[in-house]
Amino acid sequence: MMATTACFIIVSRNDIPIYEAEVGSAAKREDAAQLHQFILHAALDIVQDLAWTTSAMFLKAIDRFNDLVVSVYVTAGHTRLMLLHDSRNDDGIKSFFQEVHELYIKTLLNPIYLPGSRITSSHFDTKVRALARKYL
Amino acid sequence: MEPDVSIETSSMIRIAVVPIGTVPPNLLREYHSMLLRHQTIPLSAISSFYTEHQKSPFAHQPWDSGSLRFKFVLGGSPPSPWEDFQSNRKILAVIGICHCPSSPNLDSVVHRFNATSRTYASSLASRCFAFCPGDLQLEDGAKKAENLVLFPPADNQTQEFHLQTMMQDMAATLLMEFEKAVLKAESTGTILKTPLDSQASLSSEEVIKAKKRRLARAQKTIGDYCLLAGSPVDANAHYSTALELARLTGDFFWYAGALEGSVCALLMDRMGQKDSVLEEEVRYRYNSVLMHYRKSFIQDNAQRVSPLSFELEATLKLARFLCRRELAKEVVELLTNAADGAKSLIDASDRLVIYVEIARLYGTLGYQRKAAFFSRQVAQLYLQQENRFAAISAMQVLAMTTKAYRVQSRASISKCSPSNDIGSSHADGGKVPHQSVVSLFESQWSTLQMVVLREILLSAVRAGDPLAAWSAAARLLRSYYPLITPAGQNGLASALANSAERLPSGTRCADPALPFTRLYFFPLHPSQMDIVKRNPAREDWWAGSAPSGPFIYTPFSKGDTKDSSKQDLIWVVGEPVQVLVELANPCGFDLRVDSIYLSVHSENFDAFPVSVDLPPNSSKVITLSGIPTSVGPLTIPGCIVHCFGVITEHLFRDVDNLLLGAAQGLVLSDPFRCCGSAKLRNVSVPNISVAPPLPLLVLHVVGGDGAIILYEGEIRDVWISLANAGTVPVEQAHVSLSGKNQDSIISIAYEALQTALPLKPGAEVTIPVTLKAWKLGSVDADATSGKIPSGSTGRHLKDANSPTLLIHYAGSLANSGDLTTNLFAVPPPGRRLVVPLHVCVLQGLSFVKARLLSMEIPAHVGENLPKPVYMENGSAKDVVGSESKIERLVKIDPFRGSWGLLFLELELSNPTDVMFEISVSVQLENSRNENSADQEAAEYGYPRTRIDRDYSARVLIPLEHFKLPILDGSFFMKDFQSDGSSDCKNFSFSEKNIKAELNACIKNLISRIKVRWQSGRNSSGELDIKDAIQAALQTLVMDVLLPDPLTFGFRLVRNPSGHASKVDLPVESNIQVHSSASKGSVWAHDMTPLEVLVRNNTKEIIKMSLSLTCRDVAGENCVEGSKATVLWAGVLSGITMEIAPLQEARHSFSLYFLVPGDYTLVAAAVIDDANDILRARARSDSPDDPIFCLGSPYLVRVIGTV
Repeated sequence: MMATTACFIIVSRNDIPIYEAEVGSAAKREDAAQLHQFILHAALDIVQDLAWTTSAMFLKAIDRFNDLVVSVYVTAGHTRLMLLHDSRNDDGIKSFFQEVHELYIKTLLNPIYLPGSRITSSHFDTKVRALARKYL
Repeated sequence: MEPDVSIETSSMIRIAVVPIGTVPPNLLREYHSMLLRHQTIPLSAISSFYTEHQKSPFAHQPWDSGSLRFKFVLGGSPPSPWEDFQSNRKILAVIGICHCPSSPNLDSVVHRFNATSRTYASSLASRCFAFCPGDLQLEDGAKKAENLVLFPPADNQTQEFHLQTMMQDMAATLLMEFEKAVLKAESTGTILKTPLDSQASLSSEEVIKAKKRRLARAQKTIGDYCLLAGSPVDANAHYSTALELARLTGDFFWYAGALEGSVCALLMDRMGQKDSVLEEEVRYRYNSVLMHYRKSFIQDNAQRVSPLSFELEATLKLARFLCRRELAKEVVELLTNAADGAKSLIDASDRLVIYVEIARLYGTLGYQRKAAFFSRQVAQLYLQQENRFAAISAMQVLAMTTKAYRVQSRASISKCSPSNDIGSSHADGGKVPHQSVVSLFESQWSTLQMVVLREILLSAVRAGDPLAAWSAAARLLRSYYPLITPAGQNGLASALANSAERLPSGTRCADPALPFTRLYFFPLHPSQMDIVKRNPAREDWWAGSAPSGPFIYTPFSKGDTKDSSKQDLIWVVGEPVQVLVELANPCGFDLRVDSIYLSVHSENFDAFPVSVDLPPNSSKVITLSGIPTSVGPLTIPGCIVHCFGVITEHLFRDVDNLLLGAAQGLVLSDPFRCCGSAKLRNVSVPNISVAPPLPLLVLHVVGGDGAIILYEGEIRDVWISLANAGTVPVEQAHVSLSGKNQDSIISIAYEALQTALPLKPGAEVTIPVTLKAWKLGSVDADATSGKIPSGSTGRHLKDANSPTLLIHYAGSLANSGDLTTNLFAVPPPGRRLVVPLHVCVLQGLSFVKARLLSMEIPAHVGENLPKPVYMENGSAKDVVGSESKIERLVKIDPFRGSWGLLFLELELSNPTDVMFEISVSVQLENSRNENSADQEAAEYGYPRTRIDRDYSARVLIPLEHFKLPILDGSFFMKDFQSDGSSDCKNFSFSEKNIKAELNACIKNLISRIKVRWQSGRNSSGELDIKDAIQAALQTLVMDVLLPDPLTFGFRLVRNPSGHASKVDLPVESNIQVHSSASKGSVWAHDMTPLEVLVRNNTKEIIKMSLSLTCRDVAGENCVEGSKATVLWAGVLSGITMEIAPLQEARHSFSLYFLVPGDYTLVAAAVIDDANDILRARARSDSPDDPIFCLGSPYLVRVIGTV
């Protein structure tokens, strides 16, 4: 079952979004996509405090606005994988985050990739979308 | 819903503040702020105004520590349907504010005020404060209505005090009114209703309940008044009763209300002291409040009215109470719930209020992004209202979000945080640690940023604020042009233009739009204007102070590679300066920059504006110029641009940061690269200071400033004209040289320059400089071997090789008198003019080869040996030429006995397209040879040799004889001194030494030979052939300089026994073609006695075996053989002789010539036991070889008839 609305975003430790993807099955609307980003951006404030209260990387649903829930996964390097979704499927989201984390680490290992800069690899994008279909 | 609610709100007395008559807005604001200072009136201060009319219901009023609190509502507010539920919602008092000068008629003021206060039914007290009354008004104001209070004009403090008194009076009045209200509420059973109460009629069972319920509500209301009266203990007592009753009757809504009141009473009682126990209590009670509000939700009237807003309000109150960083999680949870609840609110304005409050609370918590998110929600709600005031509010709210989204207007940045310029330090230094580069571009949420800016633009347009619209459009276009379609870019451009139309011309905006500007090149001083610090203590005042440029030599050829971090640059008052700036328009429309000029904040610079048109996606380098106007430091942070109708400042630093980010891949795009401009350049603005006027020398070469084209070795005078273009006379000037080929400048007329000083402004002086073209090296010969070097490579080489004139000059040492020179209080600096002489050297005559030619002309046999002096009429003249001067040079080698001539033959070719004439001169020296001591130093010229273009020619240079008189070991001195006893010598080694010893002699010789050339009328020079000659001489140097070990001479023996007369006669009668008689002629058929003289030129005894021969013209030996034509007497061969050092030996013999004609006598000897010197001289390798000495031939002319 795929979530009707989901927006995935990776935020670098400098609070710059380095990867964005609308992975929901709902029809894409521009203003909705903007709202998603606004919600995720605002949720950073909460993550910022919450990340230090637990040793777990997966922070579960930390914020919500209307029907949209924000789940966050914080890597050791304080890169945040943030997912905005309307479904309640914690296990799937957790698996999704873990696999994307792995992908992200592979990207980091690329010597040409400057940590903190935008991830432009189309391979990464394909993989993330495939994972989203699989888990969300 | 009400904005700005907190738990304490329940204890605040709401007072409407309404303007009466016309009050200018700014004054109204001022009066309001005066009132705000009296929000809290201590009970102790009002006791003097308070009279207890009856027994006060507030039994436990804390007169010494309590206070009344006011909440001023500017403009008042309509009555709320929930007034009965919460008494603090009532407007309990009205304050009118009147500005007397604008409302002269006090009667009408009183009238109007009364009318206004009547609209507030709940009001218990009213006052009209009239400020700034005139004298007349003061007079009759006193007898007006008692609620009109006049504030006579006075100083601030007095007025403040007056107002305080009035407020205390009002507080006392209110307190007394509260007492009345409470007493009334206790006695009469007023029906207290809320919109929530069912409109339906009550059932019988309900009637009984309603009575109790009414009682509960009355108790709650009394509790409210107690709170307002500042008596928490009383309030608490009433609330407890109310709670009990409400619980019993199931009146959850009022229960919750009473509970809220009790919490407020609790806090009031604690007087602001918070501890964890209190916090826990508040949290517990409020959770109960929330629960009961939720319980009071009645389904059947949910469409019309709902307690939800009270629940949300209570949530916000709790959140505000808990709002601390440590409790962030809890507060966030509350606020999230509130936000969730906002969805279900019926009234849009309620939702607006709750979003506003949520945003504010998040802001207090330090969650700026959350705050921004809800602020934007607020703005969106405003924008849905589609009216101008809502749009203004939306715009203002959005403006607050810009900081969190990092799209703030520069105006607000500079206002609130001047230290926010993170990039300032980075732009200067080239290297920035990666981390800080990233931090420069923190939060590049471009999607959000664009949305926010677009919303600001939209709201600003709706609100009719053209400047805000312009600013938003500018930020949007400048920062996000790569993400905007060309159509969108055009839309923004027209938005900018439309906004500008509504703005007065000359409006400034803090946010730059287009174009992007960056410093392209900051010209340091042109080398003509270098400024040098002056050291007045020294004669050479420029010494010790580094030149202002980074390069000692040619700063102009490589001026763009400046990597030095910060340079000091001095500009001069009144002298125009230029800065190159690159502009880029990365958008898809034509950009017209109405004017652009350098921005200088120090106000000592006149910048000249220029206007530029930039086509789509293009960049352009323009020159911006200006004139410094006064002495002092000067900074150029950027450019002022007038574009799209608004004036903006474009800082270089911003673009530098942007480019830095682009280089790291952190920014969307580099505007310059996408316009096809070159890659990132790091040009920094130097520290500029402006100096007082200085003299300015301008130089030009008379006859054109083009390159001076010279052939190799050409000598030419060049005239250099120096003019003072400054406004100050030149008092000191000094010329020096630098660069390559300095020795090519033979002379500079320093005196001409010195005598022209001081050089007044506008004056000019011309000084001659003599140049001698240098020899082309192998490298630049390739480049310039073409006829005329016109290509760029040729030019470059020419510049690199040319010498440079450095002219240091300065004005007067003393200050010019006025005090403008305080910065340079010591001496005004001097200047340096660097003039590269553009000398272009063309290949001239080229030297092919040189060789040494030797020639011998046999001597005539006479009675005497040839004299060591040179002769007037040597027979060699035919060979050399007919000029007597040349003859004089040719002399007979005293020891060799015959003419030995040495010529240096130079082969020259002329690859140029002009004709050259060569003349050779030799400078003679009398000290050269002891045998020619009587020679005078003189110069001898030889006839000119002409070499046409593309031809070669040979030039003969006669060399004197340089032979040394003695062949001895001194020549091999070093060799023999080191190991004199040793016989075994390494010859090659000693030869090396010979060469070394001889080098000096050769150099001396060479230096006296000058080969001059002339081409055309005004081109002449000298050929540098020293190396060539040296090379030519090197191999034959021994032959040139060293005498043979033995010299042989023949002579006729006068008066030999019995033949004297015979011999004499023919000798006397011998008539030559030339006038002077030759005594050496011999008659045929006569016995001729001859003598051979052998001279030992060494310092050793030489043993040898001598032989003599005679040859005829054909070279046949005519002494021996069958056809001998000469008979002889005496010994002719195998004569063994031994000659003492430097002595001569003779051997006599006689010849009888049978046939007249020319004969040649030759002597030869084989030296026995030759020593090393001889072997070295003979270049003999093996010690066993016989050393053979051949004398020079002697000519014998035999006359007579056949």
